[in-house]
Amino acid sequence: MRNPVAALRSALRHPVSAYDQKSAMWLLTPMVVVLMIVAVFPVVYSFWISLYDLKLTRPHRVPFVWLGNYLKVFQDPLFWDSVARTFSFTVMSVAAIMLIALLMALLLNEEFRGRRVLSAILLIPWAIPYVANGLMWKWIYDSGYGALNGLLLQLGLIDKYIVMLGDVDKTLGLITNAFVWKEVPLATILLLVTLKSIRADLYSAAKVDGANVWQRFVHITLPALVPGFALVMIYETMMAIRHFDLFFILTEGGPAEASHVLAWQVYVETFRKLSFGTGAALAYIMAIVTFTLAFFIIRSTSRKL
Amino acid sequence: MRVSHLGRRALLFTASLLFSLYVLAPVAWLVSSSFQSEAEITSVPPHWLPSEPTAENFRAIFTASDKVVTYENRKQGDTATGGYIPSTASHLLPAMWNSLVVALAVVVLNLLVSVPAAYALAKIRFIGRKSSIYFMLATRVIPDIALVVPFFLFIQKLGLLDNLGSLVITYLAITVPFSIFILTGYFESLPDELDKAARVDGCSRLQTLLLVFLPLALPSLVAVVLFTFLTSWNEFLLALMFTQTQASQTMPIVVASFTSDFSISFSFINAAGVLAIVPPVIIAVLFERYIVSGLTAGAVKG
Repeated sequence: MRNPVAALRSALRHPVSAYDQKSAMWLLTPMVVVLMIVAVFPVVYSFWISLYDLKLTRPHRVPFVWLGNYLKVFQDPLFWDSVARTFSFTVMSVAAIMLIALLMALLLNEEFRGRRVLSAILLIPWAIPYVANGLMWKWIYDSGYGALNGLLLQLGLIDKYIVMLGDVDKTLGLITNAFVWKEVPLATILLLVTLKSIRADLYSAAKVDGANVWQRFVHITLPALVPGFALVMIYETMMAIRHFDLFFILTEGGPAEASHVLAWQVYVETFRKLSFGTGAALAYIMAIVTFTLAFFIIRSTSRKL
Repeated sequence: MRVSHLGRRALLFTASLLFSLYVLAPVAWLVSSSFQSEAEITSVPPHWLPSEPTAENFRAIFTASDKVVTYENRKQGDTATGGYIPSTASHLLPAMWNSLVVALAVVVLNLLVSVPAAYALAKIRFIGRKSSIYFMLATRVIPDIALVVPFFLFIQKLGLLDNLGSLVITYLAITVPFSIFILTGYFESLPDELDKAARVDGCSRLQTLLLVFLPLALPSLVAVVLFTFLTSWNEFLLALMFTQTQASQTMPIVVASFTSDFSISFSFINAAGVLAIVPPVIIAVLFERYIVSGLTAGAVKG
């Protein structure tokens, strides 16, 4: 693809057989049909809906409003507040995930007894449903009887139980913690693969040259981890921006909109206000942001394929 | 040398301890409190281990009958013994069954679609291969929340609201691209000579796939089955939109409904949470190798 002349030349050198072409088409048909119905059609249809003022509260009058829904969204101060909140949730989550995953991956990269056990239990947070994760943290954070309050009290950090999720200053941080706990395993696995790909002779050469542990870490490990970090960052950013489940279970956007993020606003517009046009417009804005991010993944991927 | 060796072991031990504590402590607390009575879990400070372990919360789930909660009988359950169970308690087991049915259906359909596509993308040179790959990758990154509105209207028109079929269809959207991705990577890693040899021996493309590649691709097939199963079992957002009654509610929906019940009994909810995490956790720990290799194959390439 880089060079059309080269592509043409290789096509001429290895002509595609008619049988191969035909069988490839047949083998791909189920995928194309399924993805057309469940992915392409919804995306196109969603854009179409976003141009109408479709409210299920008055289903018989659906005026075409051009980009009116988008204008309405952009003029809504709550939208910009949600953008800011989504942004801080994403930045906090991704930073914490990368830091914790780095430490865990460094540990799992060592050879020691019990390493296999650690890598097996690492998958537990990854495997459990987000809903169960939400319930678990809701119980831990409970202001009346929660474990976090109990722990802080026993450690002497607080004198009496404090309000947790109900406190506007703490909500987003606590939700971030629950999200990070669930996402860390995947990030750890991704970083571990990158660590394993570092050639051992680099370290022994550095040792011969007299580099200490810290110097080896800074000059060999960290630079080699850059692709892994990039991957984790892009993937987890996409996950954090669209995240909905924990906001639903833990706070429902509250208290006082302290955890009202974009995904929650899509839900409120669509299923509480039944304003499908605005909901679709909001979701479309989110999809475009995600696509822009994903573009970088696709570009780096297609180079390898 | 001996001292630095000892230091290294101490460091590894401390790090392993912190690692396990971070990963396991929240789950351990959930399990511990699921075996405590409502009276015990509301003690301050909390009992980290149940002093009088009880399976009452689990029994409540398995014996729960459908009861209508009214203003008059809302306080009938005894909070002190953990008898204060949500009105939807009896929905949990049928919901787990629904989740299982949906997950298995998605697994089967997903394989039927992904395996042939992945083989074609990996081993056949044809016009349009590159654009098919781009197409598949692009569908992989559509956020589920962007699918909610169009799916809802679409499913409503089809009359499939509150039907397990709607979940099976929509879950294909979130699982197929990822499955094709993993499988394509795996098929590509198998030598081209296998393909050529089978073709020279007179196998058709379909026979080559079924007789030669499928048996070799078993590890990645296991990974795909596990991912698809877990994704469907755990999915919440779409199920929240499309299910309304017991007929189609899946496990996450019913578990979430416990929290919004006006009489929250955390001892009961914790037991429900434990039941919800047992199947995925068992799968994850048993098949750890397959999952890790699948995740890395799927991720390193994208």
